[in-house]
Amino acid sequence: MSPAVLIAVAIVLPPLLRIIYTSVHGPALSLTSYAEVVKSNLFRETLRTTFIIAGSASVLSLLLGFIVALHLARQPAQRRTALMVLVLLPFWTSILVKCFAFTIILGRDGIINSLLSWIFDTRIQLPLVLNRIGTLVGMTNYLIPLIVLPVLASLLAIDSTIYRAASIMGAKPARIFWTVTVPMSLPGVFAGLLSIFVMSLGTFIIPALLGGRRDQMLSNLVDFYNRQVLDWAKASSISIVLFGIAAAFIIPLILWRRRKA
Amino acid sequence: MNNAVSKVSRRSFLGGAASALAAPMVIRASRAAPNSNSLTFTGYGGSLQEIQIKTVMNPFTEETGIKVNIIPAPDLARVKAQLLTGNVELDVFEGQSALTASGSKQGFWEKLDLSMFDLEDMAVKPTSDAVPYLLFAGGIAWDPKRFGPGKHPANFSEYFDLVKFPGRRTFSNHPDATLEMALLADGVSPKDIYPLDLDRAFKALDRVKPSVAAWVNTTTQAVSLAQTGEVDFTYVAASNRIKATNEPGGGVPLAFSFEQNVLGSETLTVLKGAPNKQNAIKFIAYFLRPDVQARLMTALGLVPISKKAVPMLPAETRKWQPDLKNPQSVFIDAAYWADHLDAVSVRFKEWILS
Repeated sequence: MSPAVLIAVAIVLPPLLRIIYTSVHGPALSLTSYAEVVKSNLFRETLRTTFIIAGSASVLSLLLGFIVALHLARQPAQRRTALMVLVLLPFWTSILVKCFAFTIILGRDGIINSLLSWIFDTRIQLPLVLNRIGTLVGMTNYLIPLIVLPVLASLLAIDSTIYRAASIMGAKPARIFWTVTVPMSLPGVFAGLLSIFVMSLGTFIIPALLGGRRDQMLSNLVDFYNRQVLDWAKASSISIVLFGIAAAFIIPLILWRRRKA
Repeated sequence: MNNAVSKVSRRSFLGGAASALAAPMVIRASRAAPNSNSLTFTGYGGSLQEIQIKTVMNPFTEETGIKVNIIPAPDLARVKAQLLTGNVELDVFEGQSALTASGSKQGFWEKLDLSMFDLEDMAVKPTSDAVPYLLFAGGIAWDPKRFGPGKHPANFSEYFDLVKFPGRRTFSNHPDATLEMALLADGVSPKDIYPLDLDRAFKALDRVKPSVAAWVNTTTQAVSLAQTGEVDFTYVAASNRIKATNEPGGGVPLAFSFEQNVLGSETLTVLKGAPNKQNAIKFIAYFLRPDVQARLMTALGLVPISKKAVPMLPAETRKWQPDLKNPQSVFIDAAYWADHLDAVSVRFKEWILS
């Protein structure tokens, strides 16, 4: 194991073990809290919402991020570096601040609605925030930089002579895109999609601030059991279930990467 | 020698290892000297904390020489964690009566010697471990520029009347106060509210659910949603936050109805095993002194617990005081919520998601 791995293990493992211990250590040592959690409607509803939001946010981010990555791949190196800074710009701002900024942009009398009202000369109040749309906007804003990087790496790894060969053989740009670019970028797409999906499973602030009542995700439920009900066995069980789900997605990815290497 | 080693059983090894691991926490907990010159208090942050520092903490330190450290967020989870690890750093906890009553049920607080306090002067009496220091009134707020007289709900049955007052509303993300409101709206007489008829309360809430734009976590959010026009009417847990919108720098001024309110008290408690217990009790007693109460409530715009402090308030502040004898209003029953908060919170959360 490398030193970096050792440090990560030393930092992550003790609290994780503590959470596992808390999850089985309610009034007595048992798996009751897991059984109660899995049976409860609250958990099942929230789990479903978590998968739907994480899945749709990931796919949406992939579609938008792919376009960005494609554009970046076609730029000369120097210009690409400059444009990369713009892609990474959202990382420089706290997610909390971004969420409040989005409420100003997306609100009923926010920038978008005011602009539309002015263009169409009538009062327009599209519901863009405190609902699923707001959550997805916030999530895609957060995820796009994370998907652009692996996809861009895949695109840059494509040997440019393949493009030349394809075009010499008479392939039109659309055909080159579908038969060369897309299949050859799949490794990056696949790896990026899976990692942003796993990352979005644990989102907490975005659904809490930009979502509506039905956009609560598992992390919000952990917070609820942890701070409001003070039922730490349940809060820990949910965390461990969430951790297990994330592991179930990420472990195959690691194995696949190792095999490829 | 060999024999001695073999006698170290797995159990005693684990015990030893555990105490070695726990040692830093224990050592840290005993760090504070018994006669220290400080105490630690949980603060909400924001404007409330700033006012508390100016009107209570600073003069207290000047008078007694005891320094008050403030750490963020009055959160029972933090209290539970400190008690569980034996690493108690907090002395005085502040929270709404329902919250501290629930902590009391779990044995989080020290029992207090009530002879320390002038009980005669207190509008609401302390329990064995929680001392109220102010009263607040929750109620309906709106933007008077958008909704003139008669165009907005002023009591809870009107707040629940979507036909007469259509529009987007906020509700608290917590069941306490919200279910009381629902029952009042449904025509239950204020004196018959407790024990809450949960089924009836949820049925009443079903009616307004489609109009609820936000289930708010904080009063700040409830106020700002109404100020930006994101919602039309809002339930605000404390009237003083609406008073603040009418002061310079408060943004869009909102109006607040005192026709019907949910009244509650904010309480102070001392953590079990608090490192500076004596200072903590002195601090709580200081909080209740009529002159301190008058100073704090003048700045805060809330209702003092000390009866003697009431006539000391300026007229402008008194305009924003709820009528505690209003027969339409209901006082939150902390004892009820101490027993039911957990179960009802889960039901409420499930109901919100469905």
